[in-house]
Amino acid sequence: MMKTLLLTLVVATLFTGAANAGDLVKMKGSTQGRSNHEFIYQDGCKGCHQGSGKQNATDAACVECHGEITSIPVDESKLAIPEAHPHKSLHYNQGASCLACHSEHEKKAPVCAECHRTWFKEM
Amino acid sequence: MHDRRSFLKLGAGAAVGGIAAALPSAALATECASNIKWDETRDVIVVGSGFAGLSSALNAKRQGLGSILVLEKMQVIGGNSAINGGWLAIPKNPIQLAQGINDDSPEELVKDQIISGRGMQNTDMLRQIANRALDAYQLCIDTGVKFREGFNQQVGGHNKARAIRTLHGVGGDITTKLYEAGKKEGVEYRLQHYVEDFIMDGQEIVGLKVRQNYRFPDLKTGKTIYIKANRAVILAHGGFSRNLALRELVDPALDKTLDCTNALGATGEVTLTAMAHGAFPVHMSFIQTGHWGSPDEGGFGWSNALLSIGFHKGISVNVLDGKRFMNERADRKTCSDAIMKNRNPDGSPAYPVVFFNHDDHVGAEEVTRAVRDQIAWKVDSLEQLAKQFNIPLAQLKQTVDEYNKQVPLRIDPLFGRMMDTAVELKAPFIVSRIWPKVHYCMGGLKTDLGARVLHSQTLAPMKNLYAVGEATGGTHGGTRLSSTACLECLTMGIIVAETIKSDMQA
Ligand SMILES: Cc1cc2nc3c(=O)[nH]c(=O)nc-3n(C[C@H](O)[C@H](O)[C@H](O)COP(=O)(O)OP(=O)(O)OC[C@H]3O[C@@H](n4cnc5c(N)ncnc54)[C@H](O)[C@@H]3O)c2cc1C
Repeated sequence: MMKTLLLTLVVATLFTGAANAGDLVKMKGSTQGRSNHEFIYQDGCKGCHQGSGKQNATDAACVECHGEITSIPVDESKLAIPEAHPHKSLHYNQGASCLACHSEHEKKAPVCAECHRTWFKEM
Repeated sequence: MHDRRSFLKLGAGAAVGGIAAALPSAALATECASNIKWDETRDVIVVGSGFAGLSSALNAKRQGLGSILVLEKMQVIGGNSAINGGWLAIPKNPIQLAQGINDDSPEELVKDQIISGRGMQNTDMLRQIANRALDAYQLCIDTGVKFREGFNQQVGGHNKARAIRTLHGVGGDITTKLYEAGKKEGVEYRLQHYVEDFIMDGQEIVGLKVRQNYRFPDLKTGKTIYIKANRAVILAHGGFSRNLALRELVDPALDKTLDCTNALGATGEVTLTAMAHGAFPVHMSFIQTGHWGSPDEGGFGWSNALLSIGFHKGISVNVLDGKRFMNERADRKTCSDAIMKNRNPDGSPAYPVVFFNHDDHVGAEEVTRAVRDQIAWKVDSLEQLAKQFNIPLAQLKQTVDEYNKQVPLRIDPLFGRMMDTAVELKAPFIVSRIWPKVHYCMGGLKTDLGARVLHSQTLAPMKNLYAVGEATGGTHGGTRLSSTACLECLTMGIIVAETIKSDMQA
């Protein structure tokens, strides 16, 4: 199990680039999810949602596999301006939840889109 | 490596056990302290993670007040403070002194604030804050905040250059440092924890009812937990500019066409909860609007900087009749009121345009980013301007002709605008649309000088309940001066920690 998990992770990383959240595709029934998270869905909802799928997931599930925000690489050559580094935000830096910008089951605009236009699209 | 996923599942099991211990969240009426089964206990709980909350938490820790927990309902730390412009008024700051400005003092700042407060300010509170300004500055320096080198300016309404600015021009330069310092020193922070209600024992606060794992703005998300506060609850939940119903109740001029510069979480429910438990509110209808907002971007955005060019070097024009309609250099309130009169027959906003010469500002950052982010456009002629924004061309031409004739005379016969910075208008132009945005709440909970919240029956402090920052009211009176909110929040965070310590010893 662990081996496939790691393999899937590596493959997903190769295809989507480390900074990419993965495409949104049909996962289970009507539930959408990220293509690079397919292996997690085989385990059911509780892997990310503590207790039940009806409970909101927390950052813990993200950090579990991806590490803390400071250790996740971002392709800086793709930034509109250097200050728009999403993992080193001038406004929040380490004080942001993963969920402020990333969403698993639907497209979501990152928190910076509340005030700034054109820096990041919905992911 | 052990299977990390099964570890998670184990954690989940433990959490379910926790839920069983809590009361059902359906309990509607305000809970009575003696019935509560507490999920957790801390010495001091801080509500909100802006300048006020972060400063309070760090200083409470440093005063040795015990375990400190900061609750923040959003998914980010910092509220309005994190998105703020990074201006901070500090009389006698080192940069000011290096500039040779030696005649400033806390009292000079207070003098300016008395004028903007129109007699309704709390002068003793302002004096106390100004007197501790250097402590607030030192708090920033200690925690690693970087200010712009050699930068100290005179901003609107101040009689001295005394406003310094953070390196990147955002309050986030301060909030991130206070947060990281607090983390290092043992302050505990929780995101997505929404404070729903207070648990009171008469006029004493004993704890909070909190929605844990809440996802803004859905109140059905998360689950209810109860956290006991042994020593103090500090309300630092900010203003209520984003609460459209509330702001329209207290000031009907602020209708729903007015967007807001604030972070989305500035909705003021904690102010209402405090009022429901007897806290005394003051000046709730004093709400500041910014007349430099653009309807083509959210929040504060870039428009404010762009319009400091537009209002000095250009003109604002009503799109319905092609005429100027205000003194572009008047104060926030005068301009906001004038702009809001620009309406279509159905009452919807007819956003006025502001334009100035493109060629005089080639390469200016304010212009480049505004055009890049599509809140401003370059137009090559008055014809194109009229066409793009549906303005009667003949009148527009006449407006510009008349204005240009006045530029060398330095007189504005229509609105008495100061014309010292005016230049003759010549295409191509940079043009943007404007509409006021709600910006700051002068009103809020009434406190004494020590940040203790006053009760509306006794006008005496409510036990263990404190409030700081924009959540409080009465400090600034009629209007707040720019760069003083940050000062107030940081300073009162220091003072509230001292008050709690002295209240403990009393
Ligand atoms: C765009 C902008 C620019 C500004 N620029 C300047 C400037 O340059 N200089 C200056 O001095 N002032 C400026 N101001 C004003 C100043 O930033 C604010 O007045 C100040 O940040 C308020 O700080 P605060 O800590 O009181 O509240 P906030 O920073 O707003 O923090 C309050 C926090 O409490 C949280 N909260 C609210 N309700 C709950 C609840 N029920 N449960 C849990 N948490 C809750 C909110 O989500 C928020 O994070 C600006 C304001 C804005 C909006």
